[in-house]
Amino acid sequence: MNRKSLLILLGILTCYAVSYAQTTIKGKVTDENSIGIPGVSVLVKGGTVGASTSGDGTYSIAIPASSTTLIFTSVGFTSQEVAIGAQSIINVQLVSDAKNLTEVVVTALGIKRSEKSIGYATQNIGGDNLTLTKENNVIGSLAGKVAGAQVTGSSGASLGGTQKIKLRSVNSIGGGGAPLMVIDGTPVIDYNFGGTENGVDYGNTSQDINPDDVESINVLKGPAASALYGIRGQYGVLLITTKKGSRGGKKVDITVSSAYTIDKVGNFLPLQNIYGVGNSQVFSKLTNGQNFVNGNDESWGPKMDGTLIRKINSFYPQDPEFGLLSTFDPQPNNIKDYFETGQNINNGISVAGGSENSDYRLSYTNAYTKGTYPNTWLKRNNFSLSSSLDITNKFKVGVNANYANNSGQRPTQGYQGSFTGAVQWFQRNLDVNTLRNYRYADGTILNWNVNPNAAGVITSNKPSDWNNPFFDAYEVLNNDDRNHLFGDINASYQLLPELKISGFVRSDILIQNVTHKEPLGGRNLDNYNVLKAQGTDNNYEFLAQYNKNIQDFSININAGANLYTNKYTQTFQSTVGGLSSPNTYTIAASVDRPTSTSYLRQKQIRSVYAMGSFGFKDTYFLDASIRNDISSALPKDNNSYWYPSVSGSFVFSNLVKWKHLSFGKLRASYAIAGSDLSPFQIVNTYGFGSPYPATSGTISSMVVPDGLKNPGIEPSFANSFEAGIDLRFLNNRLGAAFTYYNQENKNQVINLSVSGASGYDSYVVNAGLIANRGIELTLTGTPVKSKLFSWDITVNYAKNKNQIKELYQDLKVYQLDLNTYSSQTIFLNSTLNQSFGNLVGPGYKRDPATGEKLLGADNLPISVNNVDFGSVVPNYTGGILNNFRIWKFDLAAALSFQSGGKFFSWSQMLAAKSGQSEITAALNDKGINVREPIANGGGVKVSGISSVTGLPVEAYVDARTYYRTNLGTKFYDEWVYDASYIKLRELSLGYSFDASLLAKTPFKAIKLSAVVRNPVMIWQKAPKGVDPSELSSGSSSISWIEKGELQTVRSYGLTLNLKF
Amino acid sequence: MKNIYKPLFYCLIGSFVLSSCTKFKDSINTDPNSPTKASGTQLIANAEQFLPGLSSSPYGVHYPQYLSNTSFPDNSRYVTTNFNFYGLYEGPLMNLQNVIDNTALDASEGPITNQIAVAKILKAYFMWHATDRWGPLPYSEAWKGSGNFTPKYDTQQAIYNSLFTLLDEANASITAGDIKNDIVYPGTGNVAKWKKLGNTIHMLMALRLSKVDPAKGTSEFNKALANGIMNANTDNLAYPHLAVTAQENYWYNSFTVLSRNWFAVSKPVVDFMLPLNDPRLPIFANKNTAGNYVGLDYGLSTTVTPGNYSLLGNAIRQQNSPVYLVTYAQALFGLAEAAKIGWIAGSDATAKTNYDLGIEQSVRQWNNNDISALAAYKLNASVVYNPATALQQIGNQRWVHLFMHGYEGWAEWRRTGFPTFLAPAPNNNGKQIPRREGYPTQEININSANYNAAVAAFPYGGSDNLDARVWWDKP
Repeated sequence: MNRKSLLILLGILTCYAVSYAQTTIKGKVTDENSIGIPGVSVLVKGGTVGASTSGDGTYSIAIPASSTTLIFTSVGFTSQEVAIGAQSIINVQLVSDAKNLTEVVVTALGIKRSEKSIGYATQNIGGDNLTLTKENNVIGSLAGKVAGAQVTGSSGASLGGTQKIKLRSVNSIGGGGAPLMVIDGTPVIDYNFGGTENGVDYGNTSQDINPDDVESINVLKGPAASALYGIRGQYGVLLITTKKGSRGGKKVDITVSSAYTIDKVGNFLPLQNIYGVGNSQVFSKLTNGQNFVNGNDESWGPKMDGTLIRKINSFYPQDPEFGLLSTFDPQPNNIKDYFETGQNINNGISVAGGSENSDYRLSYTNAYTKGTYPNTWLKRNNFSLSSSLDITNKFKVGVNANYANNSGQRPTQGYQGSFTGAVQWFQRNLDVNTLRNYRYADGTILNWNVNPNAAGVITSNKPSDWNNPFFDAYEVLNNDDRNHLFGDINASYQLLPELKISGFVRSDILIQNVTHKEPLGGRNLDNYNVLKAQGTDNNYEFLAQYNKNIQDFSININAGANLYTNKYTQTFQSTVGGLSSPNTYTIAASVDRPTSTSYLRQKQIRSVYAMGSFGFKDTYFLDASIRNDISSALPKDNNSYWYPSVSGSFVFSNLVKWKHLSFGKLRASYAIAGSDLSPFQIVNTYGFGSPYPATSGTISSMVVPDGLKNPGIEPSFANSFEAGIDLRFLNNRLGAAFTYYNQENKNQVINLSVSGASGYDSYVVNAGLIANRGIELTLTGTPVKSKLFSWDITVNYAKNKNQIKELYQDLKVYQLDLNTYSSQTIFLNSTLNQSFGNLVGPGYKRDPATGEKLLGADNLPISVNNVDFGSVVPNYTGGILNNFRIWKFDLAAALSFQSGGKFFSWSQMLAAKSGQSEITAALNDKGINVREPIANGGGVKVSGISSVTGLPVEAYVDARTYYRTNLGTKFYDEWVYDASYIKLRELSLGYSFDASLLAKTPFKAIKLSAVVRNPVMIWQKAPKGVDPSELSSGSSSISWIEKGELQTVRSYGLTLNLKF
Repeated sequence: MKNIYKPLFYCLIGSFVLSSCTKFKDSINTDPNSPTKASGTQLIANAEQFLPGLSSSPYGVHYPQYLSNTSFPDNSRYVTTNFNFYGLYEGPLMNLQNVIDNTALDASEGPITNQIAVAKILKAYFMWHATDRWGPLPYSEAWKGSGNFTPKYDTQQAIYNSLFTLLDEANASITAGDIKNDIVYPGTGNVAKWKKLGNTIHMLMALRLSKVDPAKGTSEFNKALANGIMNANTDNLAYPHLAVTAQENYWYNSFTVLSRNWFAVSKPVVDFMLPLNDPRLPIFANKNTAGNYVGLDYGLSTTVTPGNYSLLGNAIRQQNSPVYLVTYAQALFGLAEAAKIGWIAGSDATAKTNYDLGIEQSVRQWNNNDISALAAYKLNASVVYNPATALQQIGNQRWVHLFMHGYEGWAEWRRTGFPTFLAPAPNNNGKQIPRREGYPTQEININSANYNAAVAAFPYGGSDNLDARVWWDKP
């Protein structure tokens, strides 16, 4: 249909509608407190004409002249009938009905439904609970607040680093699978620029949603809930509804909110303060006999006993301490001293209002964060506009537009990151403050990781592994900025009282720029690189909605079509061989031919879908849906697939007459959700190799890629069953929602790791069957409710059991990821008949009979490859949210917990290997430091079974040999930890000023709160120093390794909300 | 009412039809970022870029004790057991297999038979290197992609036989006409050099069988020799690094780019060469800060001050320093040994000729054709060919000549036992100098049945560690 005929159609429809109306009645529907109720259905008794109230409770209905009575019905209220008579304004006050007090839930496609009619698990989080402490990322603010959601994210020090969420555990053999984010109906791709556990975490784009704009988030957990989003909703959906203006009257609500927090670093790994730099306890000596400290990066050296030595800066002739001796002393705070106090300033304003036939809301928020790592910052601006306008009673248009702009200068995480290696390889005797002025007046860089020769001259001032951390902070710079625009324009027409058609054009456009500057003088060649990425996602949607009540039956049918287009382009350029003009950061300065790549990816999905909901007596409900997706990424002859869902609910509290039961519902659903794959996975191609720029002319080269593609790929499907019960007692003072689910994801498209001897390392296949069974429980309660004091509590708990039931053909192990350090490799595998994601790596060889460690002739443990350390998936997760109101104070506390799930800590391992960890200088059972010679009673006590004699052994071994070459190298049993924790995430104490006090001010409400974000890790099973809830794996789908987390940040501050 | 439903109906039908069509434009799922057609010589050019990695390794260089570590001594103390061959299989070998199997090669890049012959010679060379490190390896079932993701391991003997055949095929099929995009033998006449290279590799491989199967070794040796081997240093297979970052020498990167003075020439090398005034020593080693050649004790567990020792020679670690792989001098030492053990005619006389010429060509190779100090060097009593100690003299000279090509020097040490003065890293829990490298740990997981079968069938027993012996390394 072309545009012209569409316009004609709309014109005809409008004329028709106008001529049909005869009398118009207006009014407002309010509750007992005279507050307008939105969404009340207004019907002409015995007729087909109806309308519903807008956000502030007002309505307007055109009725035939013959009408006599209006019926007002709303979820949670007793229906009321009013005789029309001669009235043209009818205001109604509805009485709430405790029995039916159920929430209105926004479901797929933005359809608002009463909670009782939904046959699957959803969970709704109000906006206030998301902004308790001004957490910046919407996903991060969900931690602990949704049963079955596992949120992992990087430390606040990352300034907006990745926050990941998984619903109902891992449902993908490959570990992927994040829920789709939908904002006011617009699917927003959560692009992740998080990189890996090594590098800069630029975060995911969920941080572009301004939490202050969020009215509520409804979490659709399983495929049944999200069947209508198609393949993109296979792993659940986060339906985000933003705040809107309210209609009626001429009032304008202006809200100003401000927050100021300071950020302090915490959770330092305990290090020893006895022994300094070196690999033997004997001081190195210069030819002149002076003891000196070199650029070694381990702390297995002599005791820090005040002996006079030459420190590293004493070798720089430019240094005031040049040539001087100083004492060799411990520096207990030499890591802490590097950090600064961060600051976060957040100011927002919103203006909302409306008229009889329109509403609008405009908001602007500006946030500035100064990081805890020196010279890091993040600036953010968010604009949003949402508005709707009734052109006629039946023809409505609307717009939602969100614009986010971020720019940042961020720290680098992981090995050789922004001083993140300090616990891994550093000197316990080195005062970081001496490194602060990292450049002398003549430009020479003060390095610690360089070696003076025996004459005391630093011949090469290029550090071997570690730059001066302040040089890194002030000159090695990672900058990014992003412009992100998302939203929709929409139009709807009420063809008939029971039939509405709508059209939407939705866009999500993002442009990300990233630059990296590496100056001359560091450990790396000077370099400049620049990345530009642009993603454009469009959805064109058509939706027809039919609602009809026939006596005891309610019928709701939706049918729609969607065209989704995705296009992503990326260009990357990097200088090679250094910069021809130092500190000139442009690709043109590349000494050698610069690297330059361009990349284009595109995809389309065409979908049609239909859903029907049928209700009987407001007690029995049945839903069914069907969807067809056609994906351009699949092979041509097999690119269309259908999948259905069915669900039902039974509100038994309508039948059971027990006064304590306010509400009771049983629900069950079964759904199939389909999935496709990334584009370009079905045709094999070649890759470009390094060119060889011979003098006679450049020789181009070409490679056979390591990944083998598959032209026979098919769509894959997830089958899910769930059943649950929702109960509320004692006038809703106590509630419980329980869900059991069983989901099987079969034949997924994965990159199978294969033996490299086949010529490839991976193969795109349909493979596997991963099963997840679990329960979700949400308990809500109001233990106390009085005028002066009330207490609301929500407890979320989810337990999941996960099993790999099939892999590919007779394959027993699927390698997902691996990490190698010091030639030792640990794998993340999916193993047949086991839970997803077991960690397998080098560890103790054990005596088969006793399980004791086997010791070699030298009494050191013997290592073997491929010890299984268990699964990275937690057993259960959850959270507790408490809201107290005491007089005019509100106290909120959000807590989250996790049990089980393994992770590997590189920091803990290397802290021991480098002799920095406290354990490397502990006292042995004789009370003597393990570093003392064994002959003097020192040494680490080991026990086990001798591999020589087969008999038990107890012996003492040299501490450095034990930790440096053995435990810290090839016994990962010691460094794979259980991630269980209980964490207090958010704490806020607010005071709302009395309305009477504000009567003479322009303010309608003032609330002042003191907030603390991430105040304390109450308990963790893993040793202190690494936060298992902040495993910083960047964008990788599973967080199982830590190579140098950014330091934990705790934020303390004040927020002020003003309403005019 | 009807007139409402009609357009609505069309609209619905219209959108269903629009979205139900299963055809997309072909361009939408065609990867615009990668080519679909291969160039045989460009695939070969990429495989050639893996050649320096066979020598420039921080592991191989320690086994025959060419270098010692001034710090981070783990590698010289055999801490790593498992080494990954996937890089070789997925990288150069897969490229070469693609050329060999390709039915759509472009004759404008050179005669197709020559493109395939060059691919076969390189495949044989990479595979020879691999089997000498790991022993049994996937070969007959390898590089089959989705045809076989769990290839079995062939015995080293089977691999050697296959490679002899492969080299025979290459030798027989080479015709006149150069191939394009050749990094290692640029310019006209390159195919002739490839032919000589293939036969030289064939001959040196045959000599590897001296302990285990002299009869087979002799016949393959003579066949290769008859087909024509290298006869000048200009025939050498040496990777020509360039003074650009992407093509720079590994050791330049280590010493200069990364500023890591981690590698000193080891004591056995300096102590052997210094008393003889070996003209190659100033190339191999720098003087220490005190101005002397001082080798670093091999395999110490502690860090030393680099300035006190002779670091790796500057000439070897320039950005564009070539990496020598298969050389004329090595072929001459092979001929000398073959004559001495009677594989070819001429016994001591022929052995001496080739030994003397081998030393000269080695000095010419390393010293940029400067032989001013050669005559004096050759007068050293221990250098003068002596029929009684000839095999040891050949072995020692070969060891010196193969400096930095650790994996090759190590293989020849395992085969001949020369030099005899290499002792394992001290105080190392009794660990001996390795005799092979362990398989990649991935194989234990994803190709376990074949892996287990291969280990169980090790010719001289042992497990998948550094101590088991490969087939030709007969105890």
